[in-house]
Amino acid sequence: MSLLRVESVSRLFGSLVAVDGVSLTVEPGELRAVIGPNGAGKTTFFNLISGFFPPTTGKIFLDDLDITQVPSHRRVEMGIARTFQITEIFPELTVRENLRIPAEVAHGLRLRPWLAHADDESVRARVAELLEMGGLADKADRLVGELPHGDQRSTEIMMALALKPRLLLLDEPTAGMGDRETYDITTLIRSLHRDQKLAIVLIEHDMRVVFHLADRIMVLAEGAVLAEGTPGEIAANERVQEAYLGKAA
Amino acid sequence: MSEVNRRLAMLAAIWAVLILAPLWMPLVGGYTALGTRVMVLGLGAMSVNFLLGFTGVLSFGHAAWFGLGAYGCGLLLKFVALSTPLGLLAGTLLGGILGGLLGALIVRRRGVYFAMVTIAFGQVFYYIAFQWSSLTGGDDGLRPFYRQPLHLGVATVDILHDSTAFYYFVLASFALATALMGFILRSPFGRTMLAIRENERRARFLGIPVEMHIWIAFTLSCFFMAFAGSLYALLNNFADPRGLHYSQSGDFVMMAVLGGMRTFWGPLLGAVVFVMLQDYISSITINWQIFIGLFYVACVLFFPRGVLGILRRKATT
Amino acid sequence: MTQLILFNVTNGLIVGAFYVLMAIGLSLILNLSNVINFAHGGFLVIGGYVAYTLEPYLGFWGALIASPFLTAIIGFAVERLLISRVYGRDPLYGLLLTFGLAFVFEDGTRIIWGAQGKPFTIPAFLSQSLSDKFFFITGYRLFMVAMVAVMIALLFLLLRFTRAGMRIRAGTLDLETVAVLGVNARALRSLNFAVGIFLAGLSGVLAGGQLGLEPTMGAGLLMPSFIAIIVGGVGSLVGTLVGGLLIGVASGVTAVMLPPASEAIMYVLMAVVLLVRPRGLFGEEGMLT
Repeated sequence: MSLLRVESVSRLFGSLVAVDGVSLTVEPGELRAVIGPNGAGKTTFFNLISGFFPPTTGKIFLDDLDITQVPSHRRVEMGIARTFQITEIFPELTVRENLRIPAEVAHGLRLRPWLAHADDESVRARVAELLEMGGLADKADRLVGELPHGDQRSTEIMMALALKPRLLLLDEPTAGMGDRETYDITTLIRSLHRDQKLAIVLIEHDMRVVFHLADRIMVLAEGAVLAEGTPGEIAANERVQEAYLGKAA
Repeated sequence: MSEVNRRLAMLAAIWAVLILAPLWMPLVGGYTALGTRVMVLGLGAMSVNFLLGFTGVLSFGHAAWFGLGAYGCGLLLKFVALSTPLGLLAGTLLGGILGGLLGALIVRRRGVYFAMVTIAFGQVFYYIAFQWSSLTGGDDGLRPFYRQPLHLGVATVDILHDSTAFYYFVLASFALATALMGFILRSPFGRTMLAIRENERRARFLGIPVEMHIWIAFTLSCFFMAFAGSLYALLNNFADPRGLHYSQSGDFVMMAVLGGMRTFWGPLLGAVVFVMLQDYISSITINWQIFIGLFYVACVLFFPRGVLGILRRKATT
Repeated sequence: MTQLILFNVTNGLIVGAFYVLMAIGLSLILNLSNVINFAHGGFLVIGGYVAYTLEPYLGFWGALIASPFLTAIIGFAVERLLISRVYGRDPLYGLLLTFGLAFVFEDGTRIIWGAQGKPFTIPAFLSQSLSDKFFFITGYRLFMVAMVAVMIALLFLLLRFTRAGMRIRAGTLDLETVAVLGVNARALRSLNFAVGIFLAGLSGVLAGGQLGLEPTMGAGLLMPSFIAIIVGGVGSLVGTLVGGLLIGVASGVTAVMLPPASEAIMYVLMAVVLLVRPRGLFGEEGMLT
């Protein structure tokens, strides 16, 4: 059974076709990359999977369950977590609080007006673990809005992980980062994939990152799938080279 | 650790000032009933701020729930039962439940639109109180009714004639409400409120059903507001339509902003300043409105973070 | 009975026309600047009293023309000096600022012109009834409705066919993009604000001729204007137009059937609209939500 199955989804904004009949299947533990020039519909495609808005046509399944009309917060409960192209965090809260909120949601505590000692302990432990994993332990009590861009990016990824997702959608995780930070994030994503067997779909512009990480790559252009295959196949694909890699290089 | 100590010290100072108020207030020219009034309005401002400062949702019609609390309490004392606790309960339930029902209708709206809808719906209750004079006394207000002595098993406390006893009764009610507020804000649910304030989109994609959580926060805030309104009716032995009017809502929002809306205690401080100022200005000129208006303008332009907001910023830099 | 209903429908239309004039100005400002102008009623009062002061020198017609312009100039100054400072900040601050200004204007009027009401004389030929049967249709009432209709038509033409008008409409949808395209967003907002205040000033003069002048007359018109905007849908001027007429007629008709409910009906209408069409009659997805 596939984890995620997207069947020929399209999304129209007025007369503009942002996503045009795109299909994608993600197996548990797989790492997929979505690449394509600006305006190719990559982020819109993510928005459809995460339930930001519904597709105009087409269907989306999670574990063979039709989630096309399921609201976004329910999809999170079902195991889909995402990050955004422009970092979305809680700027005036500390890193610890930023992580604590999704950790509590994952523990099913979000409606609790109190917190029992045992729950508190397990949430704290989970937050400490995430801080460690994201290399944020020494900045835990700083306001996240005051941290450098790279730390904000890591915080956002850790917030998504705090939800214990089965499918993680990362929208340009290395955007605006220096080499060192890009390396750190890449290492982190690889360990999530290799060690924790987390299924990941990744939008990325940095081709080093994409070819280093991805099991399979999907190329979008003008809303439609231009090519789909292993990194080797994509690198060898002439249409992709013409339309995208050629231009970029 | 010093942060925790500082918080505890501040908390101790606040409660010491409040508990000792009947002793020190006469020394600075105040009187106990004024202290009671500040505390009740301060609780109202804190209730508005529960939503505004901690969920980031601006209701500009919250006086409606305050006023409904006052009428609920007054009507019960006048027509149903001579009991102060029951009056409080009736007022709190009336304002809280109606607030919750209205909230369900409007939680999808945001920003200025939300503010506008809350103003307009708040006015509904103002007109009802104004028009339904056979029940509410209309423009003249609801009277007569009187707060009743408290029967505490071993003793009976006369809170009607003994203003100090009534002050401590209000203080106890205030302590109960603020403790509950503080408790909720420190809970997982309270943190989801902060999440929504900080970044609604992020909150939604962390699995928080934003509308539902805003509705709960709105409803809780209405209950707190109605509780404050009930206390206000007990304080004045009177309820009138002006307590529901949007200009009263504006005063509450102003108190919250003035004291510092990102802080828990700020609105109480704002109420102290605002009530004192209003008291003073209206005693020296009949055109006090223009001064209050200018005060609003000045606060917005020069003082948007409020007193505690500025102090806190100074402390961290 | 027919005559009574006709009387109230006419009345409702006239009242509705007022709501529209007031609400369109509010709506213009709200759409472009994201500020709910609580002081709008205050500007209306200023418009009325300025006309009252000018009338002995300029006569009715002169005052009718001059006062809205003067009010708009005051509005322009207030926007430049005060309101423009809260643009881009939490809408809370715009609300509190204009809320304070409303107090200042109302009390200021009281200080300058006195708390007692003032009469505002209209030309004799306008105050007569047009016929005995329809005694309630005075020339002045027809004149008011005609004025409102002309002003609204003019406004829509300006917005559609002049450069500034098109920029205002574009700015309503996306001010940032318009600013990037080289339009001076600040000047555009000031101009737009002045236009809104012009309409408020005009409402003040017209209302003064019908009801006389009082410092509190603006505050009473504020709530119906809010409701007109909500019913019509935030972001849509056509919606505000329809909303204003709708609540005017509804409260006019209710005044016959069930007098005490004539005010309440507006709120009922608003609740129903919000239940059935949460964005208002003409509100669009994604606008100012």
